[in-house]
Amino acid sequence: MKTEASLLTVNRPLVTLSNVYKTFHAGTVNEVRPMQGINLAIEEGSFVIVLGGNGSGKSTLLNALAGSFAIDEGRIELDGQDVSQWPEHRRASLIGRVFQNPFSGTAPSMSILDNFSLAAKRGRFRGLSWAHSRHLQDELRDRVRDLRMGLEDRLDCAIGSLSGGQRQALTLLMATWIKPRLLLLDEHTAALDPKSADQVIALTDEIIAREGLTTLMVTHSMQQAINLGDRIVMMHKGNVLHDYSATQKKRLRVDDLLSRFENIRRRELLDESVAELLRARYI
Amino acid sequence: MTLLIGALTLGIILALLALGVYISYRIFDIADITVDGSLTFGAAVASVLLVKHGVNPVWATTAGFIAGAVAGSVSGILQTRFHINSLLAGILVMTALYSVNLHVMGRSNIPFLGAATLSTYCEQAGSVIFSGSETNLWGWIVSSADLTMLLFMFIFVGLIALALWAFLRTDLGTAMRASGDNPQMVKALGGNIEHYRIFGLALSNGLVGLAGALWAQYQNFADVQMGIGMVVWGLASVIIGEALTGATGVGIAIIGTIIGSILFRQLVAIALSFGLNPNDLKLVTAVFVLAALVLPNMMSKFTFRKQKRFL
Repeated sequence: MKTEASLLTVNRPLVTLSNVYKTFHAGTVNEVRPMQGINLAIEEGSFVIVLGGNGSGKSTLLNALAGSFAIDEGRIELDGQDVSQWPEHRRASLIGRVFQNPFSGTAPSMSILDNFSLAAKRGRFRGLSWAHSRHLQDELRDRVRDLRMGLEDRLDCAIGSLSGGQRQALTLLMATWIKPRLLLLDEHTAALDPKSADQVIALTDEIIAREGLTTLMVTHSMQQAINLGDRIVMMHKGNVLHDYSATQKKRLRVDDLLSRFENIRRRELLDESVAELLRARYI
Repeated sequence: MTLLIGALTLGIILALLALGVYISYRIFDIADITVDGSLTFGAAVASVLLVKHGVNPVWATTAGFIAGAVAGSVSGILQTRFHINSLLAGILVMTALYSVNLHVMGRSNIPFLGAATLSTYCEQAGSVIFSGSETNLWGWIVSSADLTMLLFMFIFVGLIALALWAFLRTDLGTAMRASGDNPQMVKALGGNIEHYRIFGLALSNGLVGLAGALWAQYQNFADVQMGIGMVVWGLASVIIGEALTGATGVGIAIIGTIIGSILFRQLVAIALSFGLNPNDLKLVTAVFVLAALVLPNMMSKFTFRKQKRFL
């Protein structure tokens, strides 16, 4: 299946980041540089896991793709179009997203049905037609029943009354209701208890496999990184440090990833001690 | 009885103002003081068209709505395009509108003095419907003009409320509601939250302008001061409505807001007839809203403490 997909892909990748730079709070003490000339190409149909420590720029990478901020330099191409200048809401026509915080992906005081009626119009024109169409209600009931969370009879409940796991499962369903060209998952299980996290991960895997979605998933969990996806991108200090292809990834174990991280940490310590040394000598 | 009908009619007219405040306060979660200016703006535009230009009252009233909507969209543009705090944007537009209103009206007060208005229409219609200038209502003798005005306003505001309810359940209306609830999510689903905010505030202040135009025609004059403190009035109506209905859905909230407005006007009429100094009215309204905002919090703290003792 995987080889088939790679054979079928056209030469042109679905997503290309070329030499992307971003600095926040430039010129102040809070200056952060989460993107320092990132180059990355993602083939259609691939499921990429993004790893990295705190402040490595992995969430920023996803936000740059989604258009949460304008990049300083470089170019982002999506589905053959240069989307670098597109505002967030325009890129939403191509992108589905699930956030780390279960509260971010749904409108809490509105019903499940209301929320899905919004998702059913992702990136499309919203006019004066009835939001709760019979068709939407029927399809929603079926697909929510498939979640096996007992939510199919509670479609009129405010979504804010549900648990984090339920909300993330629904957000995932909302993000993929209209098939997105690219699915962005930003540590979407990090805020959940282990059992809900497993449920949501199983659902994620199922939906991505069924729909053949091109996905970028940020995670902190090495186990998830090993079990899911067909490529791992490891980030460090605003750049791609390692890039494991599907075949390399198959041989990878949790320990390998951990030792990679250990290396990074050691190098960082070294950096600091060298800097300390130089400072002591020259200042 | 005449007093009661008067208070009812005014309560229903001001329900439009309350619905406008409901949109800004409950949907977008902002206290939009533009209302104070746009109420007068709607009244000013309508009254000038009626008195100076002899325009048909229906068109003059529509112009009141449009005037309010323009004021609201200016406020919305200040908030979204120029990132001005919603409270400050409201204050700026309200202040600017004070001068604009004086310019539009040409002086601080316009009496209608025999110009054709919705009131005169109702007077004519009333004498036809109830065959005579006075009518017997369950043993009370009331003016048929007043009664017709009340009925007309009741039906009109009911239709507007129905239209608002329907709008809030369309794709656009749902997205607008969500943009106040969770802007991040709406952006991720391809909604332009800036447009929704501008449009929502235009709609909100349009309703307020409409209320102003109707109010002026009901009381037969427009005054440059009539908008002062009206946002608090609207808030009071919304809060009473929520307290009465428990407001879960949009439809119930809309009905609650209308009932809240009518009830609040009744309370004021009763208080005034029992000798409340009209000068204290704004103070009492403000204290009422403050209490309504603070008390639920204090109550829950109190019950929480009580529960804790049992644990």
